[in-house]
Amino acid sequence: MPELNLVQAINQGLHQAMAEDERVLVLGEDVGLNGGVFRATEGLQQKFGADRVVDTPLAEIGILGSSIGLAIDGFRPVCEIQFDGFLPSGMDQILCHMGRMRNRTRGRNTVPMVLRCPHGGLIHAPEHHSESPEAYVCHTPGIKVICPSTPADAKGLLIAAVRDPDPVVFFEPKALYRAVKGEVPQEPYETPIGKARQARIGSDLTLISWGAMVHTCLKAAEILEKEGASAEVLDLRTLAPLDLDAILASAHKTGRVVIAHEAPNMGSWAAEVSALISERSLLSLKAPVKRVGSWDIRMPLFRLEKHYIPDAERVLSAARAILAF
Amino acid sequence: MPIISADLSRTERVEILSAEGVRDFSIPVDLPEEQLLWLYRKMIELRLFDERSVKLQRQGRLGTYPMILGQEASQIVPAACLRPKDWLVPTYRGQGAYYARGMQLRYSLLYWAGDDRGVKFPDENNDLIFAIPVGSHLTQAAGLAWGEKLKGKGGVAMAYLGDGTSSKGDLHEALTFCASMKLPAIYIIENNHWAISVPREKQSAGKTLAQKAWGYGAFGVQVDGNDVFAIYKEVSAAVARAREGRGPSVIECETYRLSHHTTADDAGRYRDASEVEAWKRKDPILRLRRYLESQGLWDAEKEARLQKESLAMLEAEIKAYESFPPPNPLDMFSENYAVAPWQLIEERAELQKILETRTGDENLAVLPPAEGRFP
Ligand SMILES: Cc1ncc(C[n+]2csc(CCOP(=O)(O)OP(=O)(O)O)c2C)c(N)n1
Ligand SMILES: [Mg+2]
Repeated sequence: MPELNLVQAINQGLHQAMAEDERVLVLGEDVGLNGGVFRATEGLQQKFGADRVVDTPLAEIGILGSSIGLAIDGFRPVCEIQFDGFLPSGMDQILCHMGRMRNRTRGRNTVPMVLRCPHGGLIHAPEHHSESPEAYVCHTPGIKVICPSTPADAKGLLIAAVRDPDPVVFFEPKALYRAVKGEVPQEPYETPIGKARQARIGSDLTLISWGAMVHTCLKAAEILEKEGASAEVLDLRTLAPLDLDAILASAHKTGRVVIAHEAPNMGSWAAEVSALISERSLLSLKAPVKRVGSWDIRMPLFRLEKHYIPDAERVLSAARAILAF
Repeated sequence: MPIISADLSRTERVEILSAEGVRDFSIPVDLPEEQLLWLYRKMIELRLFDERSVKLQRQGRLGTYPMILGQEASQIVPAACLRPKDWLVPTYRGQGAYYARGMQLRYSLLYWAGDDRGVKFPDENNDLIFAIPVGSHLTQAAGLAWGEKLKGKGGVAMAYLGDGTSSKGDLHEALTFCASMKLPAIYIIENNHWAISVPREKQSAGKTLAQKAWGYGAFGVQVDGNDVFAIYKEVSAAVARAREGRGPSVIECETYRLSHHTTADDAGRYRDASEVEAWKRKDPILRLRRYLESQGLWDAEKEARLQKESLAMLEAEIKAYESFPPPNPLDMFSENYAVAPWQLIEERAELQKILETRTGDENLAVLPPAEGRFP
């Protein structure tokens, strides 16, 4: 099987999704000739033409609102918001329309679109290029939210997202675009939406995470192993809808849970996961569920980002604390 | 009934100094020699700064940096039409606008090195930090202008934006507010023909971007954005109108981004080198120098001296920039609220503990004391 990095896997997924369904359109800023600022859409315009791979004017409400319109009108738009920090620019369409259209029209109009957006920090990017805004979207009913951590999942989940009848927001951990490589099947395939992945099997505690932080958790798990503690790592992959069964099964098995992620803790998606475990598995728990997130302040400029986003050390101290509880 | 024109929109284009450096004296511009030479100096300094910044970035001594090359006139001249207490809101490609108002270049470098201590403007100025989500500052500028109108002392607000940014809905709302309330605002569109890889034609089918202004009841004009005289004439007139309570203006400066979008971009992927070459011949600095020489105001010796002085000034700024001690990570927690809530107090203490146990440069004992107010 060929080895690809995450951005190559996404690129291949987009090529195949466009080839198998001519209703699929790709639109956004710099996605055409330039192939996207991260090259995720490289080669698409050359292959499928400028009518299907469109460099839009610089306008996020325009990109999102017109994607909703195209989706209602029978197309399958895959739009790109160039960076996580520019998602708020289009929030009106996401919060007020994208996830509601099906329900407001009692199923008459649906929005089968995908919104792709890079996610997270640690690439020394300028301000507003390193945000983790997933909670805002996960909090909004009617939308599926994905954040993969491996090339194979990125491709399979992207194809599943394009084929999905409902709107999907697809966050791409930009720290992993080129940093992770893995075997990716050549043919088109779906990785099921709504299913978590056991990234590591363990018995003493569970580290739950998504996106780039999964790799930080795996690193922490290796160190814990040396300290004599067996850590399970659960990669959520899909943030909405959550894989409740997998979360509760692991919590039940280990009785100790740390949830690690890049966003500030307050009101984060980790808070939702924590609440679900506490509500439904209280009696399996041997220690309180612990969240490890960024501090509850804005993402600083990049010189301090490594002191802001949790590293393996911070995941470890949370793990040690609940092991000693 | 005859069909008549329903509005008075008309957008003019102003050019005064040709690419060859020939000035059209039939169009009066009240720009004293001394100020003209000052503008020339600032443009030279800015160009050299830009060159040095790119080199620093390539050497790993600076983060991603947005180049100004080719836009020195449209950067420096509008900001130079303001008083320090007028509001200025540039874009991220705005080191030149801040510099025209006296910001020290060491801080621009510090900012683009990813250090929040780089946000440091002269105390006497009303300079506002730019917005990275493009266009989001435009309605804020309307608010600044509104405030100045309420104060009634003739203050104005000026915001810059790019051709790509003119597509954002924010401009629509900003101009709607400014025009309907007759606010003292000036919007400078630096049309450099590119928004990363997207050419100007894709942003609007209109012939100019300035013409948008008339739809809101604001004044709009396009100028040759590499022409110091044309920019100065139109921007200073717009500032004067704003001070007198005669409402907002949009000045579109047609210029060109001679370099990549930023050091992270490769313009060779999406545009022709021949287009760039053609625009190099319209360089704003070259034409002003030719004009100054033709008037006996400038010569090779003066140029050599200016270059030498500018380079020495830049070396001093770079040295000052590189002599900043590393930031104390606890700085992050300062200045988030007037009074910090409990979670910040807890989290700062947690980070403090982490830093105390780290080794080498990361240890709190060797870091400078934290800056800013906390809690
Ligand atoms: C709301 C928003 N969307 C996207 C971006 C990413 N981005 C940064 S600069 C840029 C192009 C801006 O073009 P223009 O307004 O012409 O300014 P220029 O870069 O040419 O100075 C884009 C798309 C952004 N910063 N903000
Ligand atoms: Mg531009």
